[in-house]
Amino acid sequence: MREKIIAIHSSRGGTGKTTIATNLALTYAREGSNIALLDLDFRAPSLFGVFSEGIKKPVKCWLNDFMLDRCAIGQVLIDVSDKYSLDGKLLIGLANPTIEAIRNMMGRSRAWEVAAAKKLFSMRTSIFNEMHMDCCIFDTSPGIQYSSINGVVSSDLTVIVTTLDSLDVEGVKNMLVEFYDEFEKKSVILMNKVFPQTRMWSDNERNGLITKMQRVFKRPIIGVIPCYCDVLEANRDSPLIAEKPGHPFLKDLQEVCKKLENS
Amino acid sequence: MENRTENSRALDELDVKVLLVKLIGEVHILNQKVDSMVEFGGKMLKAQEEFLQRTTKQEHTNETFKLEPDMVTLFSLPSALRKTVMALYKLGEATAEDLARETKRLRAVESSAANQLVRMGFLSKRREGRNVYFFIE
Repeated sequence: MREKIIAIHSSRGGTGKTTIATNLALTYAREGSNIALLDLDFRAPSLFGVFSEGIKKPVKCWLNDFMLDRCAIGQVLIDVSDKYSLDGKLLIGLANPTIEAIRNMMGRSRAWEVAAAKKLFSMRTSIFNEMHMDCCIFDTSPGIQYSSINGVVSSDLTVIVTTLDSLDVEGVKNMLVEFYDEFEKKSVILMNKVFPQTRMWSDNERNGLITKMQRVFKRPIIGVIPCYCDVLEANRDSPLIAEKPGHPFLKDLQEVCKKLENS
Repeated sequence: MENRTENSRALDELDVKVLLVKLIGEVHILNQKVDSMVEFGGKMLKAQEEFLQRTTKQEHTNETFKLEPDMVTLFSLPSALRKTVMALYKLGEATAEDLARETKRLRAVESSAANQLVRMGFLSKRREGRNVYFFIE
């Protein structure tokens, strides 16, 4: 993987974006890649909770501070590689989860949103040329709002995470036509929380579902991850990969990692 | 009896004189007030004219009238123009030639799109020697 920004996006909340983003970043870093993982969901930050055990508190610089021009991106990124015994590096940029910070990021002017988009575009130089990262993953907010649009348009590739819920499917279809096509953004679909019986399916049955959904979305499907109850029930204050390294969810995700490298 | 009548006539004449003086004084004050009102009205009219001239000028001069090319606003732009703005987000500041290299379109197409975006108030441009650089302010 060379110098690629991947945005993890969805049309609605609860599709598993953060679980995917976190474990994707950790899988790449375990394999020796240098990864930066940024929480771009300023309205409902979650990476702070997921990595709460792996970081020193209090956090000095949040991603909010970088966006508000109060510090450089290098001051925001926290190295958690040692905590998770990784071969590569994993740097995380956290969004401030306090209500005051969330309120502060809401209702900003259009001029500020332009400056925020410019910041995300220009950040590429620091991440790849100065910090020598191989890949940067954005965990974006769901749907169409400034933080998610800015994240998606400044990325090289977007992974749209969706379930088979009809509202999710319709939402993604609309988003693809009205946003992704308009902005000519490269995107792939990752189906998550698909009904559990797909685990027992033959390759033919699984490929049949993939072909059908590719026709619906008119985009490549890079993975079909079944719904694992224990993933849904898992404690969210540490990444799944650290808690259950051999979990089948992670094996499915490894396949996704390989496909993403070639996308 | 005759004396009393003369006195009363003299007093009447005096009252009329005093009244006339008072009346003239009042008229003078009123006149001053009307003058100052006319002067104030004139000033207001002049200020209104200046304001109208200024705003009319702003509506037609791109140098003073700016729009923000934020991502939501970009939705409403034709895709041909949106592509140029997106390339500028990526490049920061660029000539028509740089834009053409990024978008893989003709230089003339980019020059026309970028200048149209300047006229619309979304972009700014500056000249450096023979080169014209477009940028998002």
